Amino acid sequence: MLWLCRRETLRVSKLWTQTVLAPVVSSLLFILVFGLSLGGRIKQVGDVDYEVFIVPGLITMGMVQAAYANNASSIFQARFDRYINDVLSAPMKPWQMTLGYTVGGLFRALAIGSALLVAAAILVGVPVERPFALAAAVVLGLILFASLGLVVGIYAETWDHTTFIANIVILPLAFVGGVFYSIDVLPSPWHELSHVNPVFYLVNAVRFGFLGEADVSVWLSLGVTAALAVPTYLWAQWLFTTGKKLKD
Amino acid sequence: MYRNDAPALELRGLTKRYDDGTLAIEDFDLEIPAGAFFGLLGPNGAGKTTLISAVCNLIRVTEGDVLVFGEPAHSLLARSWIGLAEQDINLDRFLTVRETLTYHGGYFGMQRDEAEERAEEMIAAFGLQAKRDTRAPKLSGGQRRRLLLARALMHRPRLVILDEPTAGVDFELRTELWRYIRQLHAEGTTILLTTHYLEEAEELCEEIALIRDGHLIARDSAAGLRESFAVDRLQDVYVKAMARS
Ligand SMILES: Nc1ncnc2c1ncn2[C@@H]1O[C@H](COP(=O)(O)OP(=O)(O)OP(=O)(O)O)[C@@H](O)[C@H]1O
Ligand SMILES: [Mg+2]
Repeated sequence: MLWLCRRETLRVSKLWTQTVLAPVVSSLLFILVFGLSLGGRIKQVGDVDYEVFIVPGLITMGMVQAAYANNASSIFQARFDRYINDVLSAPMKPWQMTLGYTVGGLFRALAIGSALLVAAAILVGVPVERPFALAAAVVLGLILFASLGLVVGIYAETWDHTTFIANIVILPLAFVGGVFYSIDVLPSPWHELSHVNPVFYLVNAVRFGFLGEADVSVWLSLGVTAALAVPTYLWAQWLFTTGKKLKD
Repeated sequence: MYRNDAPALELRGLTKRYDDGTLAIEDFDLEIPAGAFFGLLGPNGAGKTTLISAVCNLIRVTEGDVLVFGEPAHSLLARSWIGLAEQDINLDRFLTVRETLTYHGGYFGMQRDEAEERAEEMIAAFGLQAKRDTRAPKLSGGQRRRLLLARALMHRPRLVILDEPTAGVDFELRTELWRYIRQLHAEGTTILLTTHYLEEAEELCEEIALIRDGHLIARDSAAGLRESFAVDRLQDVYVKAMARS
């Protein structure tokens, strides 16, 4: 199983310009462009500067998209070229395969997250008020999206299916999940509707970790994220155990 | 650690129906003794690859049992004993030749040092020295086939399964491969080979099974088959066996 983890992280490192550098650059552009342009007008959200306020959400977005995309494409490619057979026929237990394939996305997302954290600390001076809450939020959020990537990569019949989910589900949910604004500014019913968006809770949990304050309670945020992460991971595990979609 | 009297492979009532309804293998019984050099012959679509996939946990078996040296084929022990080179080349596109072998060794439970050492051995045995650090997509067709075979043998399996290993392979690699598997066989490894070259089966295999439409038609040594079909050449056995309905 260690070798499968190693293989998945090796893939990320070999392709690091695509897997790490590109998302870091694009997230930084968001921070700079939005922070500096809108920051001049909006100034503060609550008692936080706007360019600081958007950082946690942008880091979350960058990380979860990477965790998802990495695992969806890695496992889809392995299925498509059938080299996944080398793993399926190996003496590994299903849980080891699930964990091994999950790790690549976690590794890539953490690499991106650390780079962004350092950059954001230097550029806009973002604090880390609650490191434990932050760690818990990041771990749960990444498990959720890394396993979602596996599930989609296993069900997908074409490349387009994996990008479809990324563009039609993850990106929109992230945009309306309070990355760029506090949902308190939203009128009804958008304010209420935000509460059924799972990404909203994740962004809030991460923002609480950074800034020590958020729109909803951190326990609720972590709870909702966990309540989604666990079943999604078990779904991936179930696919490896039964061989559904992996074996004809 | 393992029972020596158990057959290398035992299929009992093996049936595979694919999701689209295709019945590829039906109620199939077969026993291959340990240490045998066994050939599986049959026309395209007979079910050879399906049978092999059932042994290697690559399909969901509809019904029946598969035992490898007495252990259920899905058990970790049985898996670690099997080395498979599939009909279609399926190499990890992100790994170099050396990594392909080392990682395979790792998946199959080898320690790093052991795997690295063994990988060099396999690279030398299959003449891939110059391509050691080349990724699979940049290899020629024949070099990919070599790597595929090296990977199958990497973890010193007791049961080696080669699905049409010599299809589209040049004369040189074919003779090299024959020599190499013969040597493995002499050392006690069980070999299961599928091929469409009858002279290859006759030359190499101690026993041959003829299969058609997912059923076993006949099973014997090449000489035995010629005798029971009352013909002079294996080719004629094949034609006769496949024509009967
Ligand atoms: N994934 C699949 N889904 C549905 N049917 C399949 C699948 N794979 C194989 N089959 C069908 O099962 C039957 C047996 O196929 P199999 O690949 O086992 O034949 P084979 O003996 O290996 O043939 P060949 O000599 O061409 O390699 C064929 O009718 C084939 O169409
Ligand atoms: Mg075949």
